[in-house]
Amino acid sequence: MSDLALILAVAIVTYASRVIFLARPRTSPGGKVGRFLEVFPVALFVALATIGLAAPDGQPEVTVSMAAAAGGIVGGAVFRRSLWGVIAVGAVSFYIVGLFV
Amino acid sequence: MANPSFRQGIRDSIFILLAVGAFGVAFGVLAVEAGLSIWVTVLASVIIVSGAAQFALVGLLATGAAPVLVATTGLALRHIPMSAKLAQIIGPQPLRTRLRMAWVLTDETFGLTLRVSATGVEDVVAYKTAADLMLYSGWVVGTALGAAVGSAIDPEQAGIDVLFPLLFLGLAAPLVRARRDWIVATAAVVAALVATYVLPSAWQVTVAATTAALAGVFVRE
Repeated sequence: MSDLALILAVAIVTYASRVIFLARPRTSPGGKVGRFLEVFPVALFVALATIGLAAPDGQPEVTVSMAAAAGGIVGGAVFRRSLWGVIAVGAVSFYIVGLFV
Repeated sequence: MANPSFRQGIRDSIFILLAVGAFGVAFGVLAVEAGLSIWVTVLASVIIVSGAAQFALVGLLATGAAPVLVATTGLALRHIPMSAKLAQIIGPQPLRTRLRMAWVLTDETFGLTLRVSATGVEDVVAYKTAADLMLYSGWVVGTALGAAVGSAIDPEQAGIDVLFPLLFLGLAAPLVRARRDWIVATAAVVAALVATYVLPSAWQVTVAATTAALAGVFVRE
């Protein structure tokens, strides 16, 4: 498969997964599917954050990124769960601890 | 553009524009080093619009088409519940709008849109359109720069890579309120850590998030 064909195939797979529920209007799912959709964003964002901060290189180990995670949690608590509070305090913690590690 | 929701989307996405742009540069450099031509590299960012899938593509390019497609399918599966949730958020819209909303359905723009839809925004479609435009332009322009002129910035060296997980942490923070949310968040941490031990990187996020969300389905509120 040529590089161009492979890129087209990846684009099709990616877009298909994104458009599947948007292409055709459906009624909001209820029951277990509805409950799954309610909690999926929390699960997704926490999983993304954990893999990026606690295991940035694919292996869980204590790194300076842990300081960013701790700072982010403190920032969220201090600034009432503000997005920018989490990012700012987390980033500052990351850079400060990085100076000493 | 007079729409206040659109302006809010632009404001909220400035950080994403810069961070994604830096990663676009890194992708452009790596893709050209992996053997893709400049125009094919830029085309990849124009039509795929998925950092994770594109980095997987470049990393596995030498191994052939099958591993690339397996990895990108694993990464793409998480978009399915995101697509269902976004369809709920935007409500009835013309087909053209819905197809456009799907085009840049990334973790970042999905998270921002979900956040403002919970706190109240006048026009959620305009908001997401603005966020999509910011992310898309940062990603494509960054890729073109990286592919054409080489590495001007090493995101890992500059510590920019830590900003994305912080963004996701910040997006999760307002969503974790009830007992069930805390259980799901804890399950997601555990599942993500276990996934890093037992799964290839392309499947870790999808499997961890799905497992934790499934756990949440069976928790009584």
